[in-house]
Amino acid sequence: MSEALEFRRELISIIPNLRAFAASLSGSFDRADDLVQETLVKAWDKQHTFQPGTNLKAWLFTILRNEFYTQMRKKGREVQDVDGIHAMQLAGHPEQHGHLDLQDFRKALDQLPDDQREALILIGASGFSYEEAAEICNCAVGTIKSRVSRARTRIADLLALEGDGEYGPDAISSQIIGVAPAA
Amino acid sequence: MDDREHEDATLQMSHSEASTKSGTELGPNSAIGKRLKAYYDDVASEPVPDRFLSLLDALDAAERASKADRE
Repeated sequence: MSEALEFRRELISIIPNLRAFAASLSGSFDRADDLVQETLVKAWDKQHTFQPGTNLKAWLFTILRNEFYTQMRKKGREVQDVDGIHAMQLAGHPEQHGHLDLQDFRKALDQLPDDQREALILIGASGFSYEEAAEICNCAVGTIKSRVSRARTRIADLLALEGDGEYGPDAISSQIIGVAPAA
Repeated sequence: MDDREHEDATLQMSHSEASTKSGTELGPNSAIGKRLKAYYDDVASEPVPDRFLSLLDALDAAERASKADRE
């Protein structure tokens, strides 16, 4: 019983991270919370398969990620909108009040292929090691490293971060418009 | 890992120097890293919505009920 309580406590402590990861994957806060809900139900059902003492956060991220790609396959590629609907939905999020910086960053993030975006998030924001991220994404460590590196380069280009530090919205939108869709 | 980051930063700097501007203190790793964290924490810092707590309660209750049935 106390083991179940402990599991529950740990699940709850990881929910904020799951939401942030889900939002970055799906580009929509509603979908993000649906994904988190699915993940919690699945995790609860499969909790006997979780090895206590191993990385619960990585385990949950793996479930969430699999759920996301399963849903994407079912629904077709509707989530992959290169036209920035993605970004617009997020810009409408009340918490993202006028954080121009964040919105610009979100737009740049949207320009990345899915695999690069998720690698960048897992390593740069969720705090996973390259090894853990490779396990979550079911790929080689070297693959994660090269995705992160390509993602960094691309984001730096989009935000003109190697420039003189000025990156107003105009500079960014003109950059985005000037860049042909990569994929 | 630190060494790798330094290598990346060096590569980036020489790349950007080649394309007009100097690298500046906005090393792409730190600049992007900062924004990445801010973007992520914008969501991750929100309190856990009640819907998830209720969901876990419901899952727990369902499990107990089915256990009680079996016994």
